Amino acid sequence: MNRCKLLREISEVQFAAWELHLYLDTHPSDLRAAALMNEYERKYDMLVRKYEEQFGPLTAGSGDSAEWLASPWPWEVVRCD
Amino acid sequence: MFTYEKKLQYPINIKNPDPRAAQIIISQYGGPDGEMSAALRYLSQRYSMPYSALKGLLTDIGVEELGHFEMIGTMVYQLTRNLTPEQIKASGFDTYFVDHTAGVYPVAASGTPWTAAYIQSKGDVITDLHENLAAEQKARTTYDNILRLVDDPDIIDPIRFLRQREIVHYQRFGEALRIATDKLNSKNFYACNPSFDKNCGKK
Repeated sequence: MNRCKLLREISEVQFAAWELHLYLDTHPSDLRAAALMNEYERKYDMLVRKYEEQFGPLTAGSGDSAEWLASPWPWEVVRCD
Repeated sequence: MFTYEKKLQYPINIKNPDPRAAQIIISQYGGPDGEMSAALRYLSQRYSMPYSALKGLLTDIGVEELGHFEMIGTMVYQLTRNLTPEQIKASGFDTYFVDHTAGVYPVAASGTPWTAAYIQSKGDVITDLHENLAAEQKARTTYDNILRLVDDPDIIDPIRFLRQREIVHYQRFGEALRIATDKLNSKNFYACNPSFDKNCGKK
């Protein structure tokens, strides 16, 4: 899978988990939402591992420093096709 | 502490630079109802918040706003790259360019630099939550106004995402206000300030 597509998939899963996390701040006893959030967080962890194996670290502490600096920065325009 | 993730919350890839649009959108970077104001407002209000769920909410929304600050900075950067002096003059970007070149600086669309006077941290739960509810609606209005002034789908898509987040945050802050008032005397929510007064709660 290309980098943009995988990054987009990570963002989708991360967004779903984050939205549920905010909801749970004000609805902490909703167990269904909590279970769904855990499911998305597991998917997120799996996709991040897949991404980092192929494209280098996504967080500053998660890999090789030279790779961290070499991969594109979020504000840079990248070709996604 | 904070850790950095080398990605945006929502993807932004603007193919065509447009300095006129950048000069409008920059208001959500350093303007009165922008993302910097939002992040500093919520992350500063946390300290006097007495309720755990709401400490969590202020932290989470404050952190998300930092991600939005990065998204707006990215849009301004991408909209102002590879400009010629002719394009700068013709678009009206010259008044910004003279002081900042194509550097991203926190100002409102009018050119007024960011100031802490835009935000409030009042040390009173009910007051701060109302400040936040108003702030989310003001940001939503600003995004609606941006959408009235731009027509590039590469700009419209992420701006719509950010507009929608204001609505979700407004909903969460509304629930936060209910959680706070449920802990207070229903005959007089203002009898005391639980951020400051001792033993302030339901009578």
